[in-house]
Amino acid sequence: MNQRTVLYVEDNEYNRKIVRQLLSKTSYRLVEAFDGESGIASALELRPDLILMDVQLPKISGLDATRTLRADERTKDTPIVIITSFAMSGDRERATDAGASGYLAKPYSPRELLALLRKFLPEEA
Amino acid sequence: MRWVAGIEASLHTKLMAAFGVVTVLFVAMAAFGVHTVVKTTQQAKLLDEAHQRVDWSQQVEQALARQMQFSVLALLSQDEAAIARILRENNRFNELLAKLDAVERAEQHDLVEQVRVSQDEAMAVVADIANAIRDRTLGNVTRELLAHQERLDVEIGARVARLVDAEQRRMGALRDSIASANRELLVTTGILSLSAVLLAWLCGFVISWSVIVPVREAQGFLDHVATGSFDRRVVLPNRDEFGALAQRMNRMSEELQKLDRMKVDAATELAQLNTRLERASRAKSEFLSNMSHELRTPLNAILGFTEMIADGLYGEVPEELKDPLNDVQINGRHLLRLINEVLDLAKIEAGHMELALDDYSPPELIGAVRTSLRSLAEEKGLRFVTDVAADVPIARGDSGRLTQCLMNLTGNALKFTRSGEVCIGAARQGDELVYRVSDTGIGIPPEEIDNVFAEFRQVDATVTRKFGGTGLGLSISKKFIEMHGGRIWVESRVGVGSTFFFSVPLRVGESAT
Repeated sequence: MNQRTVLYVEDNEYNRKIVRQLLSKTSYRLVEAFDGESGIASALELRPDLILMDVQLPKISGLDATRTLRADERTKDTPIVIITSFAMSGDRERATDAGASGYLAKPYSPRELLALLRKFLPEEA
Repeated sequence: MRWVAGIEASLHTKLMAAFGVVTVLFVAMAAFGVHTVVKTTQQAKLLDEAHQRVDWSQQVEQALARQMQFSVLALLSQDEAAIARILRENNRFNELLAKLDAVERAEQHDLVEQVRVSQDEAMAVVADIANAIRDRTLGNVTRELLAHQERLDVEIGARVARLVDAEQRRMGALRDSIASANRELLVTTGILSLSAVLLAWLCGFVISWSVIVPVREAQGFLDHVATGSFDRRVVLPNRDEFGALAQRMNRMSEELQKLDRMKVDAATELAQLNTRLERASRAKSEFLSNMSHELRTPLNAILGFTEMIADGLYGEVPEELKDPLNDVQINGRHLLRLINEVLDLAKIEAGHMELALDDYSPPELIGAVRTSLRSLAEEKGLRFVTDVAADVPIARGDSGRLTQCLMNLTGNALKFTRSGEVCIGAARQGDELVYRVSDTGIGIPPEEIDNVFAEFRQVDATVTRKFGGTGLGLSISKKFIEMHGGRIWVESRVGVGSTFFFSVPLRVGESAT
């Protein structure tokens, strides 16, 4: 069993559904969380192979959650891709400063998301 | 000094008064001097007269002595010729006496009269002597006559001596009087000139200080005013020109203070207004920014699902659905572009926009813009070319934002051109890089040229409906270019076409060398 686990932290049901259906055709296993707090809890508990983190989240923002996970021994090396709806200059820097491995602007194309995912985490055959 | 300053009179009057008092003192001194000179001159004349009188009196004495001599001689020689000499002496004596009497004062009149009576008596004796000589009876009466004559002589001599004595006493008194008048003149002149000098000095001192003090006060006051604080007032005891000046300065200061207060109030009001405006502006920007986020989230779902359907994620897409699915995607992307523009403007206005500076290749940037818009040009059957000068080097700037500007300008050019050509170009001009987008489109009327970069403006409101777009693209491009330190402008002729230019520094963020 060589299945790779992806954690997607996103509060919007439809966006989660897109990723769920997108990844259903792949070998990735998807775990979902609705806010920053449960996202951190799931990440620390399940130790996913990659985390997709939305920026605007209830309770704890995606950037703060990323900082928390980077500070933790268990998740400090886990790739984290930040997804932001502020496609502005400075957003990328802020994401990188928080410890993000990658950056994706919303609205993202599912094709691009999958490409980025495969770049960081090659699907196991 | 304060008292002098407080006198209700002009400075001119005060100075004139001071000079007047000093002048009066000098005039008094001169008058007294003249008076003394006149007096002493008079007394000197009197002294001269007294001298004369003493002289005459002494001559009277001499005449008397000679008369006596001649009487004795007449008696001894019993010669009538001697009588004639006596009479001659008598005449001289009488002349002198008459002179004395003419100038003598009342108290001496009696004395002269007595002398004259005695002389008359003496002359009677001489007549007796002459008779006795003629009658040859002298021998009997010689002794008697001689005795009588001697007695009279002594008597006259004593009286003349008294006259002389009186005159000499008067002369002494005159001399004393002259000396005392001189002494008096000296003392009075001394006192007067000393007081004149002291008074002149005092007046000069007091009046000059009654001027210097207010001038210094005014200087201090004006220095204070010059620093921009108007809370002080000049307080002067002066009721002269300086008093009037101080009143006006105080009025000026009050007016300035009033104006200053008004200015401060206005500034405060302005600052409050500014704060309110800033807050309102920030609230607006935050609202727009939040709205953009809220709009993007469902749009992400719409575009995501559409793409996955089109990609066949849910199974084969029937042929007749491919076209409407494409329309959904095109309109979804258009909606996204509109939202992006609104968000950009909100970010720029909130001051949250920063440039991401990097080295980039202008030909590559232009090539990318052409690639992404080529299909649009092909659809409309337009020639779509690029023209980059060979000497354009690697530049530094925010390539993402510059791409956005070129996309916007080129998109507009393609939109507003029905036939002909659209060209994207770049050329180096010194330390600047000039991009241009030219078309053979509808053009912009001259009166609208200034408005094209304003927000929410297109040449004609109907244009917006016909060609689409928010009308924000140009104003956003203008702001991006200005953030780079560049500028944007347009040259256009209606019916011929437009060329939009924008220049940016070749190396943004690096000082020009």
